[in-house]
Amino acid sequence: MLVTWKYRLRDTFIQRLDPRTRLIFLFSIIFALTIPEIWDLRIILPIFAISLTLYFMARIEWKDVKRGWAFILVFVIFIVGINGVLSGRGGPSSVTNIESPILFYVPVLDWFGWMVPITVSKLWFALNQIIRMLTMAILAIPIPYTMDPNIYGTAFKRMGASDNVSFTMDLAFRFLPTFARDFTITVDAQRARGYEMESLKGGLVERIRRLSPLIIPVVMQSTVTGEEVIDAMDLRAFGTSKRTWIKTLTYAPRDYFMLGLGAAIFISCCVLKWGFGIGGFFVPDFFTNLFV
Amino acid sequence: MNDKSTWEFGTRQVVYGAIGAALYGVFSWATNIFPLPAAGNVTFRPAVAVLIFFASAYGPWVGLLAGFIGNTLGDALSGWGFYWHWSLGNGLMGLVAGLVMASIKDFRARGDIMKAVGYGVAGIAVGMLFASLTEMFMGGIDLNTALFGYFTPAFLGNTVVTVILLPVLMIAFAAVASRRGR
Repeated sequence: MLVTWKYRLRDTFIQRLDPRTRLIFLFSIIFALTIPEIWDLRIILPIFAISLTLYFMARIEWKDVKRGWAFILVFVIFIVGINGVLSGRGGPSSVTNIESPILFYVPVLDWFGWMVPITVSKLWFALNQIIRMLTMAILAIPIPYTMDPNIYGTAFKRMGASDNVSFTMDLAFRFLPTFARDFTITVDAQRARGYEMESLKGGLVERIRRLSPLIIPVVMQSTVTGEEVIDAMDLRAFGTSKRTWIKTLTYAPRDYFMLGLGAAIFISCCVLKWGFGIGGFFVPDFFTNLFV
Repeated sequence: MNDKSTWEFGTRQVVYGAIGAALYGVFSWATNIFPLPAAGNVTFRPAVAVLIFFASAYGPWVGLLAGFIGNTLGDALSGWGFYWHWSLGNGLMGLVAGLVMASIKDFRARGDIMKAVGYGVAGIAVGMLFASLTEMFMGGIDLNTALFGYFTPAFLGNTVVTVILLPVLMIAFAAVASRRGR
């Protein structure tokens, strides 16, 4: 068992971007879709295409990312998508308010005779919802694979976080391999004493309680380590004046391009929705005609 | 045992915030590797008890940072991406749990342990409610799904783990702290 970062150095456009640019662009897309409440696939699809292009430009191997994708797809399709088809709630009220042909009924609580109508409108809404969520997830998934863990602290500092917050982040990334190693050693030591990790027996409470021999030694040792680190930092006068950071970040022309693109998408969505009334939920005729 | 200034944010908070975050990340990742069997979509994350413990012992800033950064680390290690609202929800969970710090006198005392568990459960409720409700704006899910599909499983799983493991962690910490003398 070895804790390894998903990050690998790849010579790609995405990795050459400043980490701040990537985080700001991610938030631009999230805000563009959520603040003006965009539910129009004509607007969502082009943004989805941009997200997908950036995802493929990151050149992440499928074997690396398939676990993350499985998690996202189960989440989006089963929890969100099926809920959208059944209830049609969560988005604009027009999904359930507009007149829409009923395709079939789903018996949810058969004993009580509760039959949920599945309409064309709900089906279109679920499709919208899935693509809308994937647009945001596709930008979030590559971050652990393509952003150097050592740069998070500097990136947050340069985005306006305080020295203390940024240093906490930086320090956490440095501590992680140490504690992961301590955890591995503890697991091995407990196994040598007969601890059966793969077959935790007993009821739920007992199973959770039996994790204590793995958790307690690592946590308690870390509190002791913490005191030593505090002493070392205090001796070096941490926090008495403004810090300087070894790693520096500078925006390149490609960063300005991406920041401009993010801003343009956000502003366009706001203008289309609030200025021209485009971007709300509606069911296109071609989709209705597919079923009726 | 600790400086009781609840909202102080100095070297101690920076270091223990980082340690809490790293441990939260490691244990979250380990839970993904060795998942505890549970019913439905309820998952049990022992890492949450560690987060609540750090918040109770070192205060709300440590809880906030350990929760926010720790969840980001756990997601990064598991390769799931970066979901700011769940990270912030985990941070809020630690922040609220950390409010108990000033009132804890003895980590072995039953009353103090009960208080820490109580604040911990309140923190879980606030943090998971924030994350679940934010999902309504992010994913366009309805209130029922947010409450019953997201909040309830997360709240139940985290509460069970906290109620069982937090007292064990607090008693162990009391022994370590008394040996260390600070």
